[in-house]
Amino acid sequence: MDKTIALMSVLTILIVLPTIQLVFAATDAHEYVNRKVEIWNLFFKMMTIAFTVGAVVSGTLIWLVWRFRESHPHAKPTKYEGTEW
Amino acid sequence: MSGHSNWPEWIYVGVVICLLAYVGAEAWNVERLVEHTPADAEVIKVVGQQWFWTFEHADGTKEVGELHLKKGQPYKFEITAKDVNHSFNIHDYVILQDAIVGRVNTAWFVPDEAGEYIIQCREYCGLLHYNMRGTLIVEE
Amino acid sequence: MVLELQKPRPIWQIMFSTHHTDVGLLYTITSIAFFFMGGALALGIRAELFFPGTQIIADSMTFNRIFTVHGTAMIFLFLLPFASGVGNYFVPIMVRYKDMAYPKLNAVAFWMIPPAGALIWLGFADFTWYATPPYSAIRSPGPSADMWIFAQKILGVSSVLGAINFIVTILKCKHPDLPLSKVPLLAWSFLSASLIVIVAVPTFAAALVMLLTDRLGVSGFFDPSKGGDPIAYQHLFWFTFHPEVYVLVIPAIGMMYEIIPRFSRKPIFSQSSGIFAFVMLSIVSFSSWAHHMYATGMSFTEKTVFMIGTLAAVPASGMHVFNFIATMWGGRIRFATPMMWAVGGIALFFSAGAGGVANAAMPFDFITHDSYWVVGHFHLFVMGTIAFGSIGFLYYMFPYITGRMYNETWGKIHFITAFAGTVMVFFTQHVLGLYGMPRRVFDYIPSPEYIIMNQIASVGAMIIGAGMVIWLINMIYSAGKGKEANMDDPWGLGGKYYFPHQAKNPHH
Repeated sequence: MDKTIALMSVLTILIVLPTIQLVFAATDAHEYVNRKVEIWNLFFKMMTIAFTVGAVVSGTLIWLVWRFRESHPHAKPTKYEGTEW
Repeated sequence: MSGHSNWPEWIYVGVVICLLAYVGAEAWNVERLVEHTPADAEVIKVVGQQWFWTFEHADGTKEVGELHLKKGQPYKFEITAKDVNHSFNIHDYVILQDAIVGRVNTAWFVPDEAGEYIIQCREYCGLLHYNMRGTLIVEE
Repeated sequence: MVLELQKPRPIWQIMFSTHHTDVGLLYTITSIAFFFMGGALALGIRAELFFPGTQIIADSMTFNRIFTVHGTAMIFLFLLPFASGVGNYFVPIMVRYKDMAYPKLNAVAFWMIPPAGALIWLGFADFTWYATPPYSAIRSPGPSADMWIFAQKILGVSSVLGAINFIVTILKCKHPDLPLSKVPLLAWSFLSASLIVIVAVPTFAAALVMLLTDRLGVSGFFDPSKGGDPIAYQHLFWFTFHPEVYVLVIPAIGMMYEIIPRFSRKPIFSQSSGIFAFVMLSIVSFSSWAHHMYATGMSFTEKTVFMIGTLAAVPASGMHVFNFIATMWGGRIRFATPMMWAVGGIALFFSAGAGGVANAAMPFDFITHDSYWVVGHFHLFVMGTIAFGSIGFLYYMFPYITGRMYNETWGKIHFITAFAGTVMVFFTQHVLGLYGMPRRVFDYIPSPEYIIMNQIASVGAMIIGAGMVIWLINMIYSAGKGKEANMDDPWGLGGKYYFPHQAKNPHH
């Protein structure tokens, strides 16, 4: 529990506080916010996440399908086969 | 079925929640930035009706189907509709706001490049919805 | 069905039967018929959009009517009744009861669907499946619009009756030796989905009455010229129909929970996390409805709340995907046709979900709202996930219903065409949306990007269509002339199946 609190405090100081500061500091900038740049940047960030996660998920799925198919040379019966599971 | 340890699933759920928190925080921040209308934005009144757009500048001049704006000047659209719902959309500037009868919705932007852009309706509004377009002309 | 073919009974005996397998058969056949009708409309839409300008559809009004009926038919006359059909076959057997709790109510709930379907198809309304006022209240031509409203009303009552029946069957009629935690996940999915229906549907039922009286001119609930608020309708509508999305997807996930362990020759990785995720999904399904309405002028706070509510659905959905992957892990998987559909459905479920997370991020709505992105996104759910699960499950039920095997090769070809076609159509539509093409349009600007992407999507749709024709032929042919199935274990997988053909139908 103590460790969790310590970890949370460190995380707060290192990540959350600077982010909040950055967020509110931007309000004072004199230039106008460029709407399309901001929104499309957000889009590209999200797509980076989505395609990374997608690569992991679909990679896992493809590997599973390839490895655990019954025609795979190393396929062996599961321990449930022949039982009333 | 049960009886085995489930910790990988909880780690996985934790990672998913962290990613979602990041997406949510980023989205919140960007939304906050783009919603903050600058004080010196010039108001353009936009009215959608079946099946064309009308614009009224701050000085009272009206335009139908065409909108002339100046580069570098912030504009605030006050969008409403006369008959049924429409949606005011300038895709190239990522402006999108529904035009709702009896309500005034706002959106603001600064045109940063001279040229002609398409204004279109994004909400289904009947027979000629597909053709409810206008032109945004940004002048130097 | 083969029971019918081997031991013929007059068709009225099936039609007026209240036995759960008979009602299940009626649901299944009706929903598949509407699926092909709705699919034909989809092909019409894609053919029209193959080139800019007018192609095969005479005018934009006809086009508007076609996409309205396509959407309404696919959701209310295919996906929902199909799920009810599966539930009718399997839920009583899974909870070890002789029938549904209220057999007559069950038959009544089914028999409300054909008249509602007739109203929708004969009316051919034009105001989109979303029927948003003021357009639907003051401009949409009658009587088609009014017929649509009555049809929705009937369908709403039908799904509430069906939901009550499932809930009572599972909670009250399950065998006393069977604890709720051991009830198979397919039955659990019907329990969760039915609870959502009970809570969600009455809201839209109220909105429909108000819309009808608005159309009759006696009230102005949604008509601003009479002091009403069109946004109120949108809230009422989405309060029903965002949860309704989960009503569709949860049974489809339940069907995958039946298929995947079976063909992996392993029990589900974690029954308890599956139940937990179903319950979570049915709760958070109510926290996200207004994410459809970001563009209507919502405040920053409202948008933030609904964004969080939307993102909250993701961990539970992710738990299902995890459960599927963990179940397949270490199995000995036979890729028969049902398994291919289920695995393809999981892959597309992830893509749909990722698009949904992006959609939930509120500034992104300024790019995608009411564009083809949205069309691509929700079709990945309804086609890629829900229809894939359902079609896979129909292959899985096929030997049980008919006593015969479908043709495995043609089943696989059907899967490959549908998967390739789905990716071609709906991934391309995401990109079209990013280019700003609005949805529900009869014509588009003849820019080269729009033309090429619409053509890719149209070709993909035709590929899906060809696959579905193969499926239809395979089903009809195999039902009469297919190889006789080994009813104890049609795929030679071992384990304990839930057999609809074991249901004791008094007519046999």
